[in-house]
Amino acid sequence: MKFTLSWLNQFVSTQGVTSTQISDRLTMLGLEVDSVEELFADLAFITTARVTEVSKHPDADKLSVCTVDNGEETVQIVCGAPNVHAGMVTALAKPGVKLPDGTKIKKSKMRGVASHGMLCSSRELGIDGDHSGIMELDAALTAGIPLIDALSMRDTVIEVDLTPNRPDCASVRGIAREVASFVGGPLQPLVADITPLTGQNVDYEVVIDDAELCPRYTARKLKNVKIGPAPEWMQQRLSAVGMRPINNIVDITNYVMLESGQPLHAFDFETLRGKKIVVRGPKTGETELVTLDANKRTLDEDMLLICDAERPVALAGVMGGLDTEITEQSTTILLESACFNPVSIRRTARKLGIPSEASYRFERGVDPNLADKALERAVNLMVEYAAAEPESGGLDIYPGQKELITLQLRLERVNRLLGIDLSLNQVAAYLESIEFATKELDAQTLEVQVPSFRIDIEREIDLVEEVARLVGYNEIPTSQPFIRMDYPKRDAMRTLRQETAALMTAQGFFEAINYSFVSEAHLDLCQISEGDERRQLTRLLNPLTEEQAVMRSMLLPGLLENVCRNINFQQPDIRLFEIGKVFTQKQEGELPEERMYLCAVLSGLRYPQAESLHFSEQKGDFFDIKGLAVNLLQTLRIDEGAPGSMFTYAPETLQPYCDPQQALVLSPQKTVIGTLGAVHPKTLKGFDIKQPVYFLEIDLDQLLKIKRAPKQFHPLPKYPTVKRDISLVVPDGVPAGDLLQAIRKQSQKYLESAEIFDVYRGKSIEAGHKSVALGLTYRSATATLDDKTVDKAHQKIVKKLMADFNARYREGSEV
Amino acid sequence: MESELLRLKQEAGEALDTVKDSAGLEAFRIQYLGRKGGLLTGVMRQLKSVAPEDRPRLGQLANEIKQGVELRFEEMKTQLGGGMQSAAAGATDYSLPGRYLPFGKLHPVTQVMEEICSIFEGLGFAVAEGPDVESDYYNFEALNIPPHHPARDMHDTFYVTDSILLRTHTSPMQARIMENQEPPLRYIAPGKVYRCDSDITHTPMFHQVEGFLVDKDVSFADLKGVLTAFTHKMFERDLALRFRPSFFPFTEPSAEVDIACVICGGSGCRVCKRTGWLEILGSGLIDPEVLKMVGYDPDVYSGFAFGLGVERIAMLKYGIDDIRLYYENDLRFLSQF
Repeated sequence: MKFTLSWLNQFVSTQGVTSTQISDRLTMLGLEVDSVEELFADLAFITTARVTEVSKHPDADKLSVCTVDNGEETVQIVCGAPNVHAGMVTALAKPGVKLPDGTKIKKSKMRGVASHGMLCSSRELGIDGDHSGIMELDAALTAGIPLIDALSMRDTVIEVDLTPNRPDCASVRGIAREVASFVGGPLQPLVADITPLTGQNVDYEVVIDDAELCPRYTARKLKNVKIGPAPEWMQQRLSAVGMRPINNIVDITNYVMLESGQPLHAFDFETLRGKKIVVRGPKTGETELVTLDANKRTLDEDMLLICDAERPVALAGVMGGLDTEITEQSTTILLESACFNPVSIRRTARKLGIPSEASYRFERGVDPNLADKALERAVNLMVEYAAAEPESGGLDIYPGQKELITLQLRLERVNRLLGIDLSLNQVAAYLESIEFATKELDAQTLEVQVPSFRIDIEREIDLVEEVARLVGYNEIPTSQPFIRMDYPKRDAMRTLRQETAALMTAQGFFEAINYSFVSEAHLDLCQISEGDERRQLTRLLNPLTEEQAVMRSMLLPGLLENVCRNINFQQPDIRLFEIGKVFTQKQEGELPEERMYLCAVLSGLRYPQAESLHFSEQKGDFFDIKGLAVNLLQTLRIDEGAPGSMFTYAPETLQPYCDPQQALVLSPQKTVIGTLGAVHPKTLKGFDIKQPVYFLEIDLDQLLKIKRAPKQFHPLPKYPTVKRDISLVVPDGVPAGDLLQAIRKQSQKYLESAEIFDVYRGKSIEAGHKSVALGLTYRSATATLDDKTVDKAHQKIVKKLMADFNARYREGSEV
Repeated sequence: MESELLRLKQEAGEALDTVKDSAGLEAFRIQYLGRKGGLLTGVMRQLKSVAPEDRPRLGQLANEIKQGVELRFEEMKTQLGGGMQSAAAGATDYSLPGRYLPFGKLHPVTQVMEEICSIFEGLGFAVAEGPDVESDYYNFEALNIPPHHPARDMHDTFYVTDSILLRTHTSPMQARIMENQEPPLRYIAPGKVYRCDSDITHTPMFHQVEGFLVDKDVSFADLKGVLTAFTHKMFERDLALRFRPSFFPFTEPSAEVDIACVICGGSGCRVCKRTGWLEILGSGLIDPEVLKMVGYDPDVYSGFAFGLGVERIAMLKYGIDDIRLYYENDLRFLSQF
């Protein structure tokens, strides 16, 4: 809502109050001021000047050499305007002044004659479109005063960002009412008197079908209207608040709407058939209406229409029809000032996508008691500026008239809810400052009558807010609530997420956050099959783009996009992770299942950003991501005793976006909770990535279900360990990890741990075989082991390995 | 025996001095320290056959020599493994950078969100999270926003069906929690929210933290007190606060909270649009209708609620000037916080 200070002053005097003070106070009353702008600020340095002499330019027919009194001195100015003459007062831009279009005026020579400034047309000053000559001002004006003052154009435009509950302030007078509450001045009425709308001598009829949809309809007929431009001052105000002047009748309806908050509509009476207005829904067959903007609108049964005896002529409260609009030829008009149901108007405006100034107000609620006053105001202006002759009677159909709301306001409730200490008189005074009528019921209770323009006030609590607002929120003290001590419950998933995130960052991973909505094409790039659960997508009805059309069912694609972006910005060494929800639409029409996932990606150097002085240029690989998984799960105390048994390798169960040569299923305690490995080259290609990427994904909801080992102390060993190494040559196909598993399975009582410390193929090893070097550690809890005991245990383990895996000692290796 | 030990000690020392690479070092290990056939290992085994009275002395000597050789062996191993630099330079060049594996970092939004949560947790609030895909009922109706209410214009909503949508705020958690529990309640609900709005100052997804407190005799003054305490902690100084009337259908009275601009200190700058104030959260007393809908008697219970935008606070705290950076996940951005 925009208004100008001069307009505001028509209703309340703001003398002695600055525009900054007004805007601060309005903001603190809940009418947030968005901007305060001086009108014509770019004309600040344009002044009046008097032309005292004019002579022909010696070398140019069309130019005149003028002697000009600029208020301070007499200067010579060359001017090309045809209307320049001695004695005129006009607008002057002195050297150094900038015109609104940015042109800077300089001292110059025109065809050899010096010119000290420029005399301006009103188009050159951005005032209007007139460029027929320089401005011809009142000859009685003094030279040297600011042009904006000479033209009385000095004004300030203030824009208020209205909340939807305050339609009463969608008008200059509504704002003035709030201003009056703090400047204390009287609020001027919209009109002094009202011509009674008697319904007598009226040759037309108004019928309302449903009082719910149209509580009130007032109308006046005006004859012999002279269509023409609206007066200059009105056009200026309309332009200042962003409305384009059209003609006097349309401009007056708009002007009164902005001033009063009541939307009005003028019909060309001659085009209305049957001298009748019916407010109703469409009849069968009435499917279209061409509106003022020449668009054909499709009607539906929920829309409220203004019809004549035969056909729809306007979308009630939204936009008029083209057939009955005011044209240059119109002479008799029917002026409508009515009130419509907010929900109905909103539905229509939404459905047709026509937000208008009128629908904006009706949607939020227009005071039904305003209709006749606004009508009167518009009629008065039309009489004055369009030579209109109003018919004496007028119609006022008011089937939806309601009693004013009366509320009881408990003082104790006000004070307790706000935490303040007001007296009943103070509360009453605050409410009366904005035209609420109050009556003391008892020492603790006020009866408050709500004025009809405050359609947002229906309950006691609404009055409490009004009091708070008028007291000023900043005047309310601050305190701390007293509340029973209670340890807040911790959400297990939130805790797991925090733990996981902490571990991931400790491993050098940066957290990413991607949009929850993605392109469905991601699933194709990941080769997700048709029957896969991840294809049960939650789709948006109104996505912004196809790239954000479905809720994600996996995290990896977003991270792969991040990898691509980072590589493109010359950061090829990447460790990223994301913890977020994935969505599965299990049942159409219901809320989708939301599960929390962790996904991590790793690409490029093993030690990104680290000094190559200390670390060689090793690339991260499959074992980095596998190690990450082990490290993560072990730290979370999901411990199998042996890291190897957290994983299963079964090519047929691998995800389609895994490289089948380098992937594992993460399945601690026999529960599948995720996948890790290299991203399939095809998928990488789809995401435009040209270097290997390793990933880990874990369903955190599943992980949460897995039992975590309690923290339990074990005494520190008292006796030393004894180590034994072996190198075994086994067929290439034997996974080295199986050797470890087999060792552990033997459960030799002194064996404490076993590790693989080398795998070797090549020289000295026969083809199709590899050498696996294992280190075994023995310890007894009760004694220092002697060589004999260890050797015996070790031999037994080795023998069984050799038998089970068709292994033999590597030549030259030591046992 | 003793002389052999001393000879071995010297030999081993000289052999180590000639070692130049890890292959040579491995050869040395097998020759002297190998478990089978290693010269030192062999000598140790011979200890069994010396006279019992000499055993302790010789044993000790043998052990000292072996440990000495092993120590030098380990030093050499570290030197060779540590790259050419340390091997070449006799002394440490202190100007060279240290060696470390860089830690990763949490996303700035997560950092700020966790900070907000932990401040409120410290005040006794519990944390709860709800679904991102929400029903119209919890997102709007339970919050006193019936269909066709103009307040819906304030929420550019992504719809899944007519009655299912992406939550436009974290406020649905008010209704979800209150309908299952009795006061007193203190909760905060962090999470992602969605609005179909995308330009330089808006992303279609962002993060909010909702908070509310319900009990007997909770007042607007309490709301001011709690939010003032929070803001001072969050921005680590006692910034001036301004409470300003506003409108939310689920609170009454409603208030926007502004803080004195953290950039200019209140004198007016581009960030605060020359007002000296920055809007950081919306709040108010919970509307009696909302309380009634979950079965609380508004004459007995009252409460306040507030919601704040995490990205905005992160922008103010860290000086981030482009909201779109948050979701590009550029490492040059993520590594700054």
